[in-house]
Amino acid sequence: MLATLLLLALLGMAVFALNAYNKEPLYHSQSYVFGTLVDISIYGEPDERARLLSNHILQDFQSLHHQLHAWKPVSENQPSELGALNHAFSQGKAPVSISPQLAEMLTDATNFSVKSHGLFNPAIGHLISTWGFQRDEFGAVNIDDNKIKALVKSKPGMTDIVIKNYNAYSNNMAVKLDLGGYAKGYALDMAADYLRKQQVKHALINIGGNIIALGQHGKKPWRVGIQHPRQPSAIATLDLPDGWAIGTSGDYQRYFTHNGKRYCHIIDPRTGYPVQHTQAVTVLISPQTHAGVLSDVASKPIFIEAAENKAQAAAVFGVENWMVIDQKSNIRVSKAMAQKLHWLDTNVKFTTQP
Amino acid sequence: MLNLPHNLKHAIKTLRLGDWLIVAGSVIIIVYLFQTLWSSEHATKVQIRLGDKIYATYTLNQQRDVHVHGPIGTAVISIAQGKARFSKSPCHNQYCVHQGWLTRAGQAAICLPNQISLELIGENKPYDSLNY
Amino acid sequence: MKHTPIQTTADDHRIAKLAAFAIALHMIEAVIPSPIPGVKPGIANIVTLYVLTQYGFATAAWVSILRVFASSLLLGQFLSPTFALSLGGAIISLLMLWLAMHLPRKHFSIVSLSILAAFAHIAGQLIIVRLWLIPHASVSYLIPIFAIAALFFGLINGLITAKLLYNKASNKQETPSP
Repeated sequence: MLATLLLLALLGMAVFALNAYNKEPLYHSQSYVFGTLVDISIYGEPDERARLLSNHILQDFQSLHHQLHAWKPVSENQPSELGALNHAFSQGKAPVSISPQLAEMLTDATNFSVKSHGLFNPAIGHLISTWGFQRDEFGAVNIDDNKIKALVKSKPGMTDIVIKNYNAYSNNMAVKLDLGGYAKGYALDMAADYLRKQQVKHALINIGGNIIALGQHGKKPWRVGIQHPRQPSAIATLDLPDGWAIGTSGDYQRYFTHNGKRYCHIIDPRTGYPVQHTQAVTVLISPQTHAGVLSDVASKPIFIEAAENKAQAAAVFGVENWMVIDQKSNIRVSKAMAQKLHWLDTNVKFTTQP
Repeated sequence: MLNLPHNLKHAIKTLRLGDWLIVAGSVIIIVYLFQTLWSSEHATKVQIRLGDKIYATYTLNQQRDVHVHGPIGTAVISIAQGKARFSKSPCHNQYCVHQGWLTRAGQAAICLPNQISLELIGENKPYDSLNY
Repeated sequence: MKHTPIQTTADDHRIAKLAAFAIALHMIEAVIPSPIPGVKPGIANIVTLYVLTQYGFATAAWVSILRVFASSLLLGQFLSPTFALSLGGAIISLLMLWLAMHLPRKHFSIVSLSILAAFAHIAGQLIIVRLWLIPHASVSYLIPIFAIAALFFGLINGLITAKLLYNKASNKQETPSP
């Protein structure tokens, strides 16, 4: 009896001691920059160095945010670089000088836009602001069907923009850039490059839900949870190996409801209306030069396309791992993705697609 | 009849080899149960963050409302026997309040406008970061 | 077991007497509040174990089931969830006892039977909770607590039963029947 109690106590203590001993070399920070939550984990670096590295990344994010903000000026008399460019586009064809960084981003974004047959379209800033999503605090708007029709008819597109020697102008005055679907991904790549240059082997960077992994978490890969679009919990988890990135477009991130209908921030450029047939699209991107950008961009065309064309929309960007949850909460997963997912609800029903 | 110290000694003597095996087996099963069932599912604490700082960590085994003063106003966070939620928030969209009760470790609710987040914490995190 | 319509046998009397004793223990436990809901020492099982050793499985089963029915009637819990839990636990731990009876007595004393029965009891109750009472509730994190309680009280009840059997054997100078 006594011996049993002793044995129990000893075993219990051993379990707790082991847990305490395994205090990991893991630095973790959460901050609000970029108008969203930025969550950085760095493994295997001294805390102090990890803190400095993470602060450096946050500062870079902050300045990128100012540079690319679609509706907020840097200060009262100084619009953001993107704001100034948009103003010039609306005035006519006079070229404006832009930074090499912005020029590179716009060229890159144009390529993606062409590839997606215009479904990924950062030139529809006027539509987005008509729907009221270019505000920090937005709510239901009066839907002006005629205005939307006119905006769609004006056909703003990335190919309207001409860039020569870091000077840009637009052939179409209706073009208004909103890099909301690109900038977070770009920032991910920027941060990953910076950490690699600083010889950091293991890190996990999460900007507003888009995540990129470097190395791994100790002996195990970094593990990420995928948010359930209608519940306050993850629907599944998966391991994110070195260099992989993951992104989700969801109708639950920015939306308002009007007459019982949900209007989300993802707008079909062909109709001018928010997409209502899909709750969430998750893409998993294999290691490549712009894995971060792709994790941000690739989910949008899949989200916008009708159910029967979604697989094709993924193939356009070479995305093999994707998951789609439609408005009826039916889950469709690509074959490759199905092998990587660990469902948290063991009763989950889903269909796989080659 | 039940003279305890004497009986205890005597009782232990009555235990046979098989009895000890069963006790040892039970202990192993119990340790295993603790490790698997108390690892991720069961949340024990709620961590509240304000901006980039950890504001406070509370055990979930209590009933209380916590008032947190964020950049745009005061949010009320309710803790009730194993769960936590935003019950009032000054933000416009009220996404954080609509998230409802958080019950399992790893679940989180974020109020972006007011820069406040809740996360339930258990023995182990089921994942390192959340994709949303 | 012999059954004649009016006359009662010595067996019946014995069962009634032992069941009454088990019911008394059950009632005592029912009025003492438990610090953790669902965790109870189950001292009435001492009677079941004692009867099992002294009079065999059939009598033990009668005593155990009678106790569950009678106690729930007396406590006004008949056919309530508490009754279902009680009955489910009793049936499964009887099944376990029937299996464990066949373990070699040379190595396994009544204490083993007690611990195994205690584990079976909580297993039975958890199955009922899961399948019928609250299918969606997450009770899984309580399982380790229940398991510790089962080991602890199973051990203690087993030791008490062993002591009772030993006293009986030394008082009456007879060996307990297997």
